[in-house]
This record gives sequence, C-alpha cells and structure tokens, in this order.
Amino acid sequence: MNGPACIFAFSLVISAIEIFTQIFFTIMFSDLESDYINPIDLCYRLNNYVLPEVAIHTFLGTVFLLNGYFFSLLINMPILTFSINKVYTNNYLLDATDIFKTVRNHKKESFVKLGFFLVFFFFSLYRMIMALVDADNI
Amino acid sequence: MASQGAPAHSRRRLYPQQQYDFSAQQPPVVDPAAAAYSASPIYGQSGQPVAGGMFTPATAIPGPVSSAVGSAQIGGPQVGINPAPSYGYNTPGAEAMAGQFGQMNLGASTGAGTPAAAPALPLNSLYNIDLLHQMPPPINDLSLPPPPLILPPTASVTNSPDSNAPYEYMRSTLNAIPATNSLLKKSKLPFALVIRPYASLLDKSKPVQVVGDTVICRCRRCRAYINPFVQFLETGNRWKCNMCNLTNEVPSTFDFNVIKNIASNRYDRAELNHSVVDFIAPPEYMVRPPQPLVYVFVLDISVNAIKNGLLATAVRTIQESLDRIPNKDGRTRIGLIGVDSCLHYFSIPASSEDYVSEPSLLVCPDIEDPFLPVPENLLVTLSNSRENIDNLLSRLPDMFAQNTNQNNALGSALTAAYKLISPVGGKIVCITASLPNVGIGKLEFRDDKKFLGTNKEGTLLQTANSFYKSFAVDCNKQQVSVDMFLFSSSYQDVASLSSLPRFTAGQTHLYPGWSASRSEDAIKFAHELGEHLSQEVALEAVLRVRGSTGLRMNAFYGNFFNRSSDLCSFPTFPRDQSYVVEVSIDETINKSWVPIQSAVLHTTCHGERRIRVTTIAIPTTNLLQDVYASADQVAITAYLTQKAVEKALSSGLGDAREYLQTSLTTMLQTYKKDLMTTNVGASAPLQFSANLRMLPLLVNALIKHVGLRKSAQIPSDLRSAGLCLLSTLPAVHLVKYIHPDFFSLHDMPDEAGNPSEETGEIILPPKLNLTAGNIATHGLYLINDGQILFLWVGRDAVPLLIEDVFGVPSLQHVKAGKAEVPELDNPMNQRVRSIIAKCRESKDQITWPNLYIVREDGDPALRLWASTFLIEDKSDQALSYYQFLGQLRDKVNN
Ligand SMILES: [Zn+2]
Repeated sequence: MNGPACIFAFSLVISAIEIFTQIFFTIMFSDLESDYINPIDLCYRLNNYVLPEVAIHTFLGTVFLLNGYFFSLLINMPILTFSINKVYTNNYLLDATDIFKTVRNHKKESFVKLGFFLVFFFFSLYRMIMALVDADNI
Repeated sequence: MASQGAPAHSRRRLYPQQQYDFSAQQPPVVDPAAAAYSASPIYGQSGQPVAGGMFTPATAIPGPVSSAVGSAQIGGPQVGINPAPSYGYNTPGAEAMAGQFGQMNLGASTGAGTPAAAPALPLNSLYNIDLLHQMPPPINDLSLPPPPLILPPTASVTNSPDSNAPYEYMRSTLNAIPATNSLLKKSKLPFALVIRPYASLLDKSKPVQVVGDTVICRCRRCRAYINPFVQFLETGNRWKCNMCNLTNEVPSTFDFNVIKNIASNRYDRAELNHSVVDFIAPPEYMVRPPQPLVYVFVLDISVNAIKNGLLATAVRTIQESLDRIPNKDGRTRIGLIGVDSCLHYFSIPASSEDYVSEPSLLVCPDIEDPFLPVPENLLVTLSNSRENIDNLLSRLPDMFAQNTNQNNALGSALTAAYKLISPVGGKIVCITASLPNVGIGKLEFRDDKKFLGTNKEGTLLQTANSFYKSFAVDCNKQQVSVDMFLFSSSYQDVASLSSLPRFTAGQTHLYPGWSASRSEDAIKFAHELGEHLSQEVALEAVLRVRGSTGLRMNAFYGNFFNRSSDLCSFPTFPRDQSYVVEVSIDETINKSWVPIQSAVLHTTCHGERRIRVTTIAIPTTNLLQDVYASADQVAITAYLTQKAVEKALSSGLGDAREYLQTSLTTMLQTYKKDLMTTNVGASAPLQFSANLRMLPLLVNALIKHVGLRKSAQIPSDLRSAGLCLLSTLPAVHLVKYIHPDFFSLHDMPDEAGNPSEETGEIILPPKLNLTAGNIATHGLYLINDGQILFLWVGRDAVPLLIEDVFGVPSLQHVKAGKAEVPELDNPMNQRVRSIIAKCRESKDQITWPNLYIVREDGDPALRLWASTFLIEDKSDQALSYYQFLGQLRDKVNN
C-alpha cells in the first residue's frame, strides 16, 4: 500500500470511530430526554469521551497538514475549529446543572458531526481506492 | 373562586390621586398637620413643577389658596380625577356579566373531559386601551388579582369555593389556554405557570388542609392525585382522571374515616374541597426514614469577618435562633466549621454526658484534601448538647478576636461540611466576608472595571470555577443545600458563589458594605438570618408538575436541580421562593377546561413525609381575543424575568434586554394585527388589552432594573445578587422589586399610617407613579422595593415637618444615609414609623429592608441612587416610559 492510500485508510478508520462516537452521543442525549438516564450519570459518562474525540480529530487534521492534503484539511476545518475553540475556552464539558436546557443544542451538534463524518467516510473511501488504483496503474 | 376581582374601582376613589393634574382644584390635603406644613411660607416657593416631570405635581398650588387648605375635605375635590374610565375585568359590567352567565348555568354539559367544540362559557371580555393615552399608567392595577378563571359551575365535584388554586400558590400566564399549539404560537404570549407551593414561612400563618388518613388516591396511569375537578362514575365506585381520562377505582377507605372508625362523606374530604392540600404519605413514599433537620454553619473567621464584626453578630444570631430552629421532634442537628486558611472544627460533647467535657477546637491545616479529624461530636443533636452549644457560641467570637489571617478556604470548608452531613443531608449555611482565595474552588479577583457596560460584562456573571457546579451536583446526590450570606467589602465573586445556592435550592443574600458597628446593619442581618433559620423548611423534596393530556412541562426555572426532564429536586425546600414552569401544547386540547397539578413530595422539618398538591383548572379557548383578555400580566412578567435572567447568564445582558423588548413588541404587533380591526396604519395608536396594560411598564422597569440595565457603574457582585433575587422572588414581591411602591407622606390622607378599623393592619398611603414629577421640593416620600426603603426629604421641607418626623430643628440636622426614624411622641412620627414597619412586615419573606434617608440637598450619590428607582423617568442610558411607548408604537406600526 502506498503513502496516500495509507493516509486515507487511516482517515477512514478515524471517520468510522467518529461516526460511532456521535451515534453514541446522540443515543445518550435521547435517553436523557426520555429519562432513561439521569443527568449526573450522563455527564459523567460522556465527559470521558469529549477530549479523546477532539484529540483524534485534531490528530487527523495534523496528518493531513503534514502530508500536504490541504483540501481534506479544509473540509475538516469548520468542525475542527469549533471543537478546538470549545476546548480552548474551557466549555467543552457537559454541565449536569443545565443539561436539560442545553441538550437540544448538544444533540444538534452531534447530528451535524455525524452527518459530516458520514460524508467524510465515503470521501476517504473514494480517495483511498483512487490512490490504490493509481498505484496499480504505475 | 378566590381570584374574583376585588372592587378596585371603589378603592381607588377613596384616596386623592396625586399623580394626575388637577392643579385647578383644591389640593387633597386632609391631615391638619399636613395642612400646616403646606400652609407655611416656604410652601409658596415650591409651587413650580419639578423639572423633568411630565405632569404638573399635584401639590403645585399658588400661595393664596393655602388659606383654604384647611377646609379641604377628603372625597370632595378629587371626584373626576380618574382621567379614564377603568376598563378591564374589574369593570362592574363585566363582572356582573360573568356572574350572570355563571348562574345561568350555560353550557351545563361541559363537565370534565366532555369534548367541547367551542367554549361554552363566555370568558373574560377584551377591553382595548390606548397605552399612550393612558398616561400616567394606573399603577394600582399592579395589585389587582389576575383575570378570573371562569369555569362551568359543574367543574368541581364539591363546588367548594376553594376548589381552584389561589393565585399566590399558582398562577398561569394565560387564564384561558389556547386549545391548539398554533393558536398559542400565533398569540406570541408565553404559556407558563408560576408556582409557589408555600405561601408563608411558617405553617401557622397560612394553614393548609391536611389529609391525615394516608389514603392517597392517585390515577393508575399518570399518577395524578385526586382533586376537586375529577368526576365520579358508576354511583361513585370509580373516578375518571381529569389529566389522562383513565377510569380508576375509588379506594374503599374513601367513604370511611379510619381514624374515628365511622362512615364518612367523601365530599367532606379535604382533597375534594381544596386546591391546596397536604397528604401525609405512607411508608411507600419514603426512600429512607425521615431524616432530621441538619444545619452546618460555615463561618468565616478570617480578619475580614472579625474587623466588620460579622463573626460576633452571626454567632450571637445563631445563639438567639437556637430556640426558633424547627425542632419539634428533638432530632435537629447542628454543626459549626470555622474557616480562614485552615479549617477549624468544633467538637461539642453532649451536655448530659459528662459536665467536665467542654467543647474543643480542632484545627486542620490541610485544605487541599479536607478530612474530618474526629468521627463524632462534630454534628450534634441540638436538644442533647444545648448547653455546650450555647457555651461554645458565647466564647467563639473571643477565640478568634485576635486572628489576623487574611485567607478564606471556603471551598475546602464546604467540602468538609459536605463530608460531615452527607450521610444525612441538610443545609450548609455559609456566612463569609471575603473572596475564597485559597484551597479548593479558589476564585480570582476578576471584577475589571473596564468590562462593565461592555459585552464582556456577561462573563463576569458566569461561574468562574467549575467546582461551584460540580460541587452542587454532589450536594444534590446527598440531599445537601447551600445558602450564602455574603458580606465582603470588596469583590467577592457573587456570580460564582451563587451557583451553589442556585443548583441546590438555596438562596444567596448579599450585604454590600455591611458593618456590625452600624446598628441598622446588625439588625438587618440578625433578623434575616433568624427568619431564615426558623422557617419551616422541607427536606429531600421533589417537585413534579402534571398537566392534562396534550400539555407538557417544557422547562423549569428557579433554584433547584433538574434530576430528570420533568422532575426538579430540592435537597431542602425553602418557603420564600417561587418557580416558573413553561408549558407547551403538544396536542389539540378538546376539553373546555384543563387541570394542571403540582406535587411536592417532601419531608417536613418535623420528620413527617408529606405531599403538597396544588391543582389549578384553567378554561380553554379557540379564540385569540379570549387568550389576550385572560392573560395575567404579573405572571407574564415573572416568566419574562426568568427568561431574561437565563439569557443574561448565558449570553449577556444586552441579549437579555433585547429579548424583553422583542417579546413585548411582538405581543403588541400581534394584538394590533389580529385583534384590532380599526386604526390600522402608520399613525395608529398603541393599543393593548386592558388586563395587560401594565406589562409595558413592567418590561420597561425590568430593562432599567439594577440586574439588567445598561450601565458601566454597577459592580458585577450587585448585578449577580440582583439576578438571584429576580429569579427567585415570588410574583408579588417580584413586581415590587421591579416596580417599587412610592408613597407621599407629607400629605397622606388621614387614615394612612393608622390601623384599619376592620383588619387592624396599618393602612398605607395611596401609591404614586414613579416619576420625579410627583416629587415636590417640600415633600416627604417613601420608596419601597422590598429590599431597600428610601425616605426622601425634599430640600424645602418645612421645619415643622422635619421637627415632627426626625425630631431635629431643620433639614440640615437630618442625618442622611442608612438610618432609622427616631421614636417621637407625635402622630406624624408615629404614622411614618408605622408605615415603615408595615413595609418591613412580612410573613413570607425573610428580608428586612434597610432604610436610607435621602436628602434632596444632600449627598448626590445617594440622591442619584434613589432616583434610579424613578423608573418612569428618563435616565442617561434608558428611555422614559413615555418615550419607550413611543418607540414601541413606531416599531409596531412599521
Ligand atoms: Zn390519569
């Protein structure tokens, strides 16, 4: 497997992880809304995943940057900036005291991320296959 | 129905209406003493209207007339002063009509749950008023009850007059609910309930019916409690739930008195006759045996609290309150923790045990990981250790009198207190005089003056350290509440500290510039702490609100923790706060009226598990005009206030003001577009429903309130404390806090300041509009917002008046600032003092307002502060009420 194919295979994996994380988040938020989980447990559980989620996404962005895949980086930028900004301003953790007033926004955010990573998953798949095909052609 | 309109019309006629222009007539002087003040030579000089006012002051009478003043009679000249007829639901005609229809038994088929295509009863009628034409706004409307809830006479099974909730316990923003969500959306009015389960600090001041036989009849499906609005079916063996329409069995014990062991009439049962009842709960309602009441005091013993005398005052007050703390069952427990840069624990042995053992002090310097130095005697039963507690409290101020430690490890002390009481739960009362600067949850000085008045100001109102939120969550798990009594002379980060009370159902009390050397300050704090400790607080409480099918409780506002989407949890349930619940309409309602029920499951401070159930039944409608005609302006204000506070804390003060302005504008636009048929056009008058006519004034006042107004002068601590009050005060107090009462004292009518012949209560003078136009330079006025009292003395006040009220020869001798009116033996002085005492008297609030004497010729800062309460006037950053209305009219017409 050549370099570009490796990078997009990696990005494929990251997208898959992100998709699962966002599905998990969305399900948890829905559970909260229908009272299957209490806010304290929800925040305790989800807060463990918030930073790793941002971290792997940032890592992916760095890989694209270092290897010069600027278009791939560019399409990741909006969500990446949003996440990093949240960490930077120190309000990335879910707050059990007002979660019922913010849960709708959190859910929306998870949906947007989910949608993006689904698209990006297929984008990565396409780029990986193209890279493999290119390599075969040589 | 308790909310039937009071005859405000006749009451209004009783007093002279100072705020209107009747300068051509006699002045409404009634008190011979007042006449004497006015008749003096100085009086003539003050005949010019005060600049800045829109109306001629009522007392502007040219000198010569003053000779006739003595003969002026009450009730004489002021006839016809009322400039506009009093529209609205209190118009005799409307009331009579509603009454007639009620008696005619119209729509007899509209029982509970009967589908009704159209409302069968005529609801409150819509009366238009032109806001700009009705100047000044009739402020007595603020004390009117909400528009009546008009229900068919068959709605209640017992037809008891107490069937429907009194408005002090529960009031809806809409006393006619739109049947569909689209109508609600179209109306642009909010749909919310203002709930206050307890209307007094002590049960005995407002007794509530108790269902004592532990027969608690609830719906199997929705778990609603049986209430006066259910229907009995099949000769009374079954009842139909009025929330979800399920048919339930009536328990066999319902017609039998288990206590007396005789047959009884179910229609005598309290829960079928009263909308507010307490059920005594059987053991199924307990997670654990009822816990005792626990108070842990976290006392600041640093030099800050020694210097201003806080520690001594606090300790003395606690000592004096020991007998008032609820302790009927003898289980109440007390603990004390002192804090500077170390934690000071007090081990208090039981008094009976061994007379040699004395209370001892244990100092722990470890503030990063606080631990309890000894396992017992830190939290002691009040009854067993009474003498030793007394003994300790008497010695405590002396123990730390020489302390020079500057630090305050409040967060660590809170953690320690939490460890101490978490097995039981209870209240942590923090009495602290400085910014917590060391240990867990330490805070920084962040009150940067250059942020004030800018967009960045909003961040100062948010919690700086996440400890204050995560700790609140921990407290909730262990049923612990935190109350803050804050006394710092400099920045204390009220914003962060108030998060704890906010999410643990406590309260924040700020005493800016407090010093025990001023007796007024000491009295205020001692009174408030004493009342706070002695209120019959409930423990381990949860609040749930259930509505008829189609209604959903959408959001909750107030001090508590949302444990699930529809359950609010209160480690302790205070009696001086109120809550707002936003309701959404999910399905079309096909009943002619719907019930909504709130239930507070709690443990009383006397160790009894109880449920306080409050049920309100509200008619529904398909017509927009009914929705508007039955809207409750005070409840809407309470809702808008909560939303504005939420906005202020999340996205800043500018957004909060913008929200208030936009909400009001869309209401007025909707009213004009959908309810006005005439006068459409760019020059149309600004019209609104008569029952909502004070809403623009209240919104305008709210925009100018210290918690929300645009200003670069308000320290963020004061703002935060203001926001705390705005989001917790019960509706009546909230209205006063937003729109203070304003009385004229130098020319008050005869009866004012004297006890009423019927009730024995002190009669207050008529209220005036809050504008400088109502202030004559020779006058004496009182402004009361429920938190502060201002006694305004005009610069030309005659010596006789000064002599009578203050006991000094002239104005120059009157001591301005925080003070009291001296006790003198003359009627005027006694009446003034009675009125002040009446303003301070409260059975449902702990607040004891300080009195500030403001001299018009005195300290400009004080005068300026007092004049910020004149909310109908223009200020440097905000419009006058008249301009505000003009601006609204322009927006509505474009
Ligand atoms: Zn039911």
